[in-house]
Amino acid sequence: MTISQSAAQADRPNGDVIMELDDTSVEFGMSRGRSRVLNGVDFEVSRDEIVGVIGESGSGKSMFASAMLDAVPEPGVTTGDVTYYPEDDDPVSVTDLSKEELRRFRWEEVSMVFQGAMSSFNPVLKIRTHFVETLSAHDYNVERGLERVRELLEDLYLEPERMLESYPHELSGGMKQRVLIALSLVLDPEMLVMDEPTAALDLLMQRSIISLLHDIQDKHDLTIVFITHDLPLVANLADRLAVLYAFEFAEVGPADDILEDPAHPYTRALLNATPNLSAPLEEMRPIEGESPDPVNIPEGCSYHPRCPIADEMCRSHDPDAYDAGADHDVHCHHWEDSIENIDNALASSGSMDRSRRTAADRSADEEPVVSLDDIEVEFGSENDGLLDFGDSEIVTAVDGISLDIYQNDVVVLVGESGCGKTTLGKTAVGLQQPTDGTIEYKGRDIWEGSGNSSTLADKEIRRALQIVHQDPGSSLNSHHRVRTILETPLKRWHSDLDGNDRRERILGMLEYVGISPPEDYIDRYPHQLSGGEKQRVALIRAMLINPDLILADEAVSALDVSLRVSTMDLMIELQDVFNTSYLAISHDLSNARYFAEKTGGRIGVMYLGELVEIGSPEQIIHDPKHPYTQALRWATPELDRDEDIDDNPMRTIDVPDQTNMPSGCRYHTRCPKAREVCRTQKPELIDRSDEDGVQHTACFRALEDHEYWDSEPIAEEPPAAEETGSAD
Amino acid sequence: MDWKIRRFGQGLFTVWAVVSLTFFITRMMPGNPVDAFVAQIGPELENPQEAYELAETYMNINPEAPLHVAYRDYMISMVQGDLGRSMSQNAEVTELMAEAVPWTLFVMSWAIAISFVVGISLGAIMAYWEGSTFDTAVTGYATTVTSIPFYVLALLLLMVFGYQLGWFPTGGRQPSGVEAGFNLPFMLGMIHHAALPVFSMLVASGAASLTMRGNSVRILGEDYLRVARLRGLADRTIAVRYVARNAILPMYTGLMIAIGTMFGGAVVLEEIYTYRGMGYYMIQAVRMRDYPLMMGAFTVITIAVVIALLIADLTYGKIDPRAGGENREAF
Ligand code: SF4
Ligand code: SF4
Repeated sequence: MTISQSAAQADRPNGDVIMELDDTSVEFGMSRGRSRVLNGVDFEVSRDEIVGVIGESGSGKSMFASAMLDAVPEPGVTTGDVTYYPEDDDPVSVTDLSKEELRRFRWEEVSMVFQGAMSSFNPVLKIRTHFVETLSAHDYNVERGLERVRELLEDLYLEPERMLESYPHELSGGMKQRVLIALSLVLDPEMLVMDEPTAALDLLMQRSIISLLHDIQDKHDLTIVFITHDLPLVANLADRLAVLYAFEFAEVGPADDILEDPAHPYTRALLNATPNLSAPLEEMRPIEGESPDPVNIPEGCSYHPRCPIADEMCRSHDPDAYDAGADHDVHCHHWEDSIENIDNALASSGSMDRSRRTAADRSADEEPVVSLDDIEVEFGSENDGLLDFGDSEIVTAVDGISLDIYQNDVVVLVGESGCGKTTLGKTAVGLQQPTDGTIEYKGRDIWEGSGNSSTLADKEIRRALQIVHQDPGSSLNSHHRVRTILETPLKRWHSDLDGNDRRERILGMLEYVGISPPEDYIDRYPHQLSGGEKQRVALIRAMLINPDLILADEAVSALDVSLRVSTMDLMIELQDVFNTSYLAISHDLSNARYFAEKTGGRIGVMYLGELVEIGSPEQIIHDPKHPYTQALRWATPELDRDEDIDDNPMRTIDVPDQTNMPSGCRYHTRCPKAREVCRTQKPELIDRSDEDGVQHTACFRALEDHEYWDSEPIAEEPPAAEETGSAD
Repeated sequence: MDWKIRRFGQGLFTVWAVVSLTFFITRMMPGNPVDAFVAQIGPELENPQEAYELAETYMNINPEAPLHVAYRDYMISMVQGDLGRSMSQNAEVTELMAEAVPWTLFVMSWAIAISFVVGISLGAIMAYWEGSTFDTAVTGYATTVTSIPFYVLALLLLMVFGYQLGWFPTGGRQPSGVEAGFNLPFMLGMIHHAALPVFSMLVASGAASLTMRGNSVRILGEDYLRVARLRGLADRTIAVRYVARNAILPMYTGLMIAIGTMFGGAVVLEEIYTYRGMGYYMIQAVRMRDYPLMMGAFTVITIAVVIALLIADLTYGKIDPRAGGENREAF
């Protein structure tokens, strides 16, 4: 049974509705029972608006997207009404359309951009064919259609002819994503549904696409439904925001209201759990618990197991929409209470404080645990003999980087994909042999004496350097129980423990990281664990070895937003217990900031194989000196709506080709501040540390007297279509 | 362009290596064919010295010449297409081969074509009705057939259809009593004789159908297929351009490799059916210790396989745009 205030229905944005969902559900029959992946939602999309739909994975957001085109993959079944209102025609019931009508409706009226543009194109057809096919399938004039395509591509900062003549694999991810957007607009639809359209892309590319969307929406009078798990990303794009939780809407309202004055406890918690650059760390707090299983949605309000102010009413009655202001609906019985009390309730649920160290405290006279000196890593083979004619393509992934990591230290490397951060990380823990330069572990060269073998010979060093992967699922052996997984390192490195001691120790660790009851979990297989649990088991496994340095390769980016902060907190806690250091890799500046600031570590920014800036998080986030760090800073979405996103601080969107590195400062092809001297001379890291923190910057602008200041600026053009390809 | 030359070079290298190897085996191995030949023929001749000259006629190898000279002469005659002279058939090996190879090709190309067409069609149908009774039945059939060695099937077919039912001839390659040439009875007779060998090779269709099924099922789940449907493309376009093309592509290389293995299979098959193709001669040569013929057949098989693979490589880029350039891994 549901309880609602009928007033909520009255003041909907009654203006001009383009799409209406009424009691729409999507169900899948599964062996475990019937699974409702969208649970009777009501929703209206107004014409010409951008509405952002926020949901964590498994919240039903993809089903919501598909339901609007009646495109739920089989064997899912859509029920309820989905109505489309053409501008000057009769309403259309999408679920009742015939096959042919549906075929025309999709793409001509409402089109869709999927997650994963990488695989949205047929690999054996040219891009042009994709466009032509679509045009002719809908009986559009191909010539005129292609004209439109060229214009669209140009608006997306792509070279039309080059794109059309390419095969999908010849384009970079960002290019493919933009071409896909053009493809979705080729028939001039009224409405565009985008399901995580930027998820697989780098921050800079995400941000560039978001700012392009704004212009495109304007120009083509589009209605956009933008679905994402990343709240900050849409924060200043969307007019309205809708929050999905457990296959239902928790809250829908104007973006300003939702961000500044969220009424639903989940929205408030989500905002607090989202790492960002400006909020004080003390305010960031994980959401306890995990999202429900679609087969087994809790009675009453589906959020009640995680809600700090839940009461009897919440457990028995499913809240319908309550009116929380103009156009603002919230599905919570106690929303008024929530606004006042939720933050207090959260705050009292235990705040963790730690004495903060800073990078400066780790004085220079301390001996580093791992020391990288002028490391260079090259990939690609030179001619390897008699049968190999030509084709020597060498890519320098890491080029001359020096870095010291101390005891109990944290260094987070950030940068776009392909910048070499993972290679550098692997090199630091001995998983990749450098082509040049040395790595020392406590003063010993770790590759010494290993000859040409690609693994470390020294057992002690192998123990001291560990890695935690992005995807814990693939690093845990799926045929072993948790116990076996955790026993292996113990047996190997603590052979003095007997079976009982080992079991005790494992149970203790599981309990410590919040996996309880541990007796129950110890006999499970990895697939019986949730993503967060797997990551924690992987973390314990690394810790049990007692390593000195752990490489955490995007350790939290695969997790849901609500789990990121808690996982990072756990890593920090374990660091204190085990006295390890972390070398973390992240493409996300907000996560990097959280992790580094909480531990007093450093953030290193990499660009095309070089370390362009490194320093304390305060300096890097609030006073970045390098133009590239400034661009990353721009690209990191904030919850703050006033920020201007149209001001792209780069001259080109796409990364230069790696086999043909720019001369001088490698950033000069994109740097807005570049001057002639940057083309020819290469800046070294310059120490700009002050009492606020350490900071080293590889840019001439960090020097007060440098010939840079007298040099001619490189012609200022607006972001142009890419000059060089980065297709591979 | 560059890599084409490279592939060509690699092919040439393989042929050269194999030919050299045959030379060194023939000439250098203890108890090698040349010595054996001389020892065998010599005592029967009035002038034992002639044995050496005969060796040169038959094997292109002069046992008395210094190694490098012998090697050079051997290579030159190879390049000139002179594979020596068969002792048992008393004819030029080149001629024998030229006469036998087309028959082998005839059987093999039919076998390959039919088994791939059958395999691909079955696989496509199975994928389309994934999970149906048809799917399960054919999967079972295909698995069984794949695990039967072709020569076992060949013997079975020969027994049942050749000897017991008498529907097909039990040996030979052409009808007797019909004038050879482009006349209908002769053609039909040829097909009649080739039928059983061709069908024995159909075991390959089992593997092909399973691969095709797997590929198609995978592609049916691809994002681009879903996008194509949403874009409103016609079902036929999707089936042909999206599913079939992408599913068959990875099998192309497999097809060319199959050619290689089938040449190997031909040796056994032709022996079973006394089908006088290249493989038949090769067995004969082994039986009669006819080294020149053996080496010749061996060389021809090598060249044929190398050419097949070369064609596969060079044409693959035409049908799959992703091939050709090195796909550098992202790091
Ligand atoms: S207060 Fe009650 S109704 Fe509101 S979110 Fe919490 S559990 Fe749900
Ligand atoms: S050195 Fe020049 S090109 Fe490089 S970041 Fe500084 S200003 Fe830009």
